[in-house]
Amino acid sequence: MPSSFLPGLKEALGAPGVAMAATFLAFGAAVREAGLSAGWALLACWGIYGMPGQLVLVQAAAAGWAGGVGAVVIGAVAVNARFLPMAVSLAPVLAHGPRGRLLPAVPFIAVTPWAAAMRALPGVERADRLPWFLGFGLTSWIVAGGAALAGFFLAGALGQEARAALLFVNPLYYALLLAADLDRPAPRRAVLCGAAAASLALILPASIALLAAGIVGGTAAFLLGRRRAAG
Amino acid sequence: MPPADLALLLTALACLGLRLAGVWLAGGLSVDHPAIAWATAVAQATLAAFVTLAILLPPGALAEVPLFARLAGLGVGVTICLAFRRRLLPSLLAGLAAMLVVRALLQGG
Repeated sequence: MPSSFLPGLKEALGAPGVAMAATFLAFGAAVREAGLSAGWALLACWGIYGMPGQLVLVQAAAAGWAGGVGAVVIGAVAVNARFLPMAVSLAPVLAHGPRGRLLPAVPFIAVTPWAAAMRALPGVERADRLPWFLGFGLTSWIVAGGAALAGFFLAGALGQEARAALLFVNPLYYALLLAADLDRPAPRRAVLCGAAAASLALILPASIALLAAGIVGGTAAFLLGRRRAAG
Repeated sequence: MPPADLALLLTALACLGLRLAGVWLAGGLSVDHPAIAWATAVAQATLAAFVTLAILLPPGALAEVPLFARLAGLGVGVTICLAFRRRLLPSLLAGLAAMLVVRALLQGG
């Protein structure tokens, strides 16, 4: 076992593990309330591994799939569409040797492992980066799955207020990940442009607003950065 | 297949496809390539937009937390994070505590 697997594992058990456990507890409870099974909760965590998309499915199940499965799936995939740019930005950081070597890392590409990797990996030897990411990703997966099952079986004990508090941890944690990057100009531009572009939600349907805000805000930030570099 | 299982299967496959496509598109590009810089900006902007919407216009159970409590939790968490050398766990716990306290005060008053 390469030595960097354990540092990745340990990193995942700090703030990322707490944030993930809180959010997935709330998810497990919501799955039970929607009348779905514990197995479904676990497979949703590991198969989708992106909380906004998971919540779209659970909310649709609770509403009896009004509007049809196809529309719900499109909505769930659209809110998780950030996986694509995240994978693009992460691949060169992880790359070491043939591209196929990255395949084991693919299922773990999600906000928490991505943000942790972008922070930590530039300081890690290239050969050790993939094992670090797998240590982090596998640990996060296990924490997420365990928390979802715990939430499922504890649903009765989790009142509405407790569940709302747990759901708050998810955006708060993401906000902290972004705040930790604010001293670097490129992420700062992307965060400010993305937050401003969130106003597109006022005119676009919820299912595509996030995707559109990300593309518009990210592209604006990228172009501003190019102009600054040229000027 | 029940609709819940079908929806889960299709969503999981599509999400896997997005991740694979990203790794494939990145190809042999270096970290400094403009396409990589653009993708990173889009990923960060999407996350910022997600946080903005989740705090200001949250769906589901989170909407039952008053807006002012959500903003207080976010403000305290981010302030602690910036003030204490980006230590995420204390910032997370402080933000959550601030949200709970403000929610309790608003609901008690």
